[in-house]
Amino acid sequence: MNIMSQNIRTDAEQSLLDAFKTVQGKLPGCSKMQAMRSQAIAQFEQAGLPHRRVEDWKYTDLRTRMKTAYPVTAQSAQAVTSQQIQQALGPLAGLEANTMLFVNGHYQEALSDMDALGEGIEVLSLTAAFDQTPDWFASELGRVALFHDNDTITTLNTAFASDGAAIRISDKVEMDKLLHLIFVSAGEHDKLNTTRYLVSAGDDAKFTMLETHITVGDAKAQNNSVCELIVGANAKVAHIKCQLETEVNTHLSTWMVRLGERSNYRAFQMSTGAELARNQIFVRFQGEHAFANISGVFLGQNQQHNDTTLIVDHAVPNCSSQEMFKVVLSDAARGVFQGKLEVKPIAQKTDAKQMAQALLLSEQAEFDAKPELEIFADDVVCGHGATSGQIDEDLLFYLRARGISEGEAKSLLIAAFIGEVLEAVEDAPIQEALSGIAQNWLREI
Amino acid sequence: MLEIKDLHVEVDGKQILQGLDLTVPKGEVHAIMGPNGSGKSTLSYVIAGKEDYEVTQGSILWNGQDLAEMEPDERAASGVFLAFQYPMEIPGVATMTFLRTAMNALRKARNEKELTTPDFIKIVRGKAAELQIDPDMLKRPLNVGFSGGEKKRMEILQMALLEPNLCILDETDSGLDIDALRIVSEGVNLLRNEGRAMLVITHYQRLLDYIVPDKVHVLSKGKIARSGGKELAQELEQSGYAGYEDAAA
Repeated sequence: MNIMSQNIRTDAEQSLLDAFKTVQGKLPGCSKMQAMRSQAIAQFEQAGLPHRRVEDWKYTDLRTRMKTAYPVTAQSAQAVTSQQIQQALGPLAGLEANTMLFVNGHYQEALSDMDALGEGIEVLSLTAAFDQTPDWFASELGRVALFHDNDTITTLNTAFASDGAAIRISDKVEMDKLLHLIFVSAGEHDKLNTTRYLVSAGDDAKFTMLETHITVGDAKAQNNSVCELIVGANAKVAHIKCQLETEVNTHLSTWMVRLGERSNYRAFQMSTGAELARNQIFVRFQGEHAFANISGVFLGQNQQHNDTTLIVDHAVPNCSSQEMFKVVLSDAARGVFQGKLEVKPIAQKTDAKQMAQALLLSEQAEFDAKPELEIFADDVVCGHGATSGQIDEDLLFYLRARGISEGEAKSLLIAAFIGEVLEAVEDAPIQEALSGIAQNWLREI
Repeated sequence: MLEIKDLHVEVDGKQILQGLDLTVPKGEVHAIMGPNGSGKSTLSYVIAGKEDYEVTQGSILWNGQDLAEMEPDERAASGVFLAFQYPMEIPGVATMTFLRTAMNALRKARNEKELTTPDFIKIVRGKAAELQIDPDMLKRPLNVGFSGGEKKRMEILQMALLEPNLCILDETDSGLDIDALRIVSEGVNLLRNEGRAMLVITHYQRLLDYIVPDKVHVLSKGKIARSGGKELAQELEQSGYAGYEDAAA
């Protein structure tokens, strides 16, 4: 006998379905995009929000935690001053960069600065890209996302994306200035913001890109951000995210990356913000002899919950990947790390290493690590590890025996723990700014 | 002056020191010798304030202050310094950051102004040169990748920089070759003065050829079993600890 089980729709799920009907006509996009949106919402209608009985969401029950869905903002009417933005950016404000700024999911030309982009670099807002539809954009849109087409977060993003960016770096172009995408949630009303950006790095291209999420004002936001990145052959891309939202936000973020032959990809994610954050990073090697370093750090306090879910797909031979994630948890904060290394049968000579380490500063803090290896090739070097511990009492005593107070000694040791992973960020000014954010965090706890 | 009276110390429920009496006046260097397991390291840790080293009876007075009542950093601020037998490696903490933090913490405790960067660097480089410490060592994370001898020299460098007036050297000679032993001892001898009391803990007499003590005490079964002049060390070198181990058993 078959028993069909049908979930009862939650308020949040129903609101999302209703909201789509209301905003559908106002969302940007060509006919291909509109078809993708309709397909996406139909898929969501079937699947609903992911919950703990879905293996990938075991530790982050989104269906239970996201009780309501905030209204979707079809247009941004929120005034934000550059002073408020600088303040929210903190140590990142000083970075020299071409900036592209979004408020509540909509591009703000007046608050952006892209005068010095240089030859061979095309940066458009997603809305403008739909209007102009450059060839590369039409062909790449949604292709990377389709890697993980069962992912509900990406599906929702496809349905609701209100704006974002389309970025193309031509073959052999080296961007000398950082490209900084700043996503601001602002205003007095709770809202759901959905952004998506697509980046295509040509062969031999070289650039650094930073994605920052900040909040201005007291309202709550549910943010869903997706990045699709295609890295060309022999290209070198540094891709960094810093999430500093207020502790009332829900932050859902997905990076989907396709790496070409001999490419070099360095990804880093730092999070100190949001009440609930899920950071998904899906990377696929598509050309041989490519390298990826994917690292990050979560600094959590109070009731924060931060989930980093990573899939590195070695689909071709001769590639290497390294992952190092660190988590520092105080109060009742919870960190989740799920890291899966997939090695396909043809992917011989794969070299993949993964490590997740947590430092627990209180009895109530919790770290859940789920490293997974799925290896179908026989000539590979793969390894993973996860550790969870407290501040080493012997080290603490050594520092205190030199006259350093307990608080300062702890700060030194935590900073050292974090510093080890910050070294993965090669760009010195960015590393310094992230270190500044960590120092600020240490002063808070 | 260091005055230890009837000191009983328990570690993990085990009684290690059992009524130890010891007085070290300012300006003097006293050596503590004894067989393995007699409580030498326990004595050094309990003076410095390591957690889980519980004083169950007796007292440790330093210039009239009861050390047992103080946090480890407060003891350091009052002039206590322990040169560790096994100095800790701390990856991610730069040696210079550590030295500066420690020096400024002590200055702050003494209500002195923090050191400026040029002053700090000048002082560290000068003292490091005296101890024949390679300047490259100072650029590394604290003690990480240091050899045994380098770690001990780093301990003595810290002692020279922090200028304590109660110095406890816990088996500083262990793991040192003869050249390193000479350099470390010379470093220690430079710090000997009227205002400073030193407690040199060692298993072997060899170190005491270089750092000549005013008094030698033999620790056995958690108590001082015998005290004498520097010649007591030589006697022990010849006769060994056999008689004292019997006493401990």
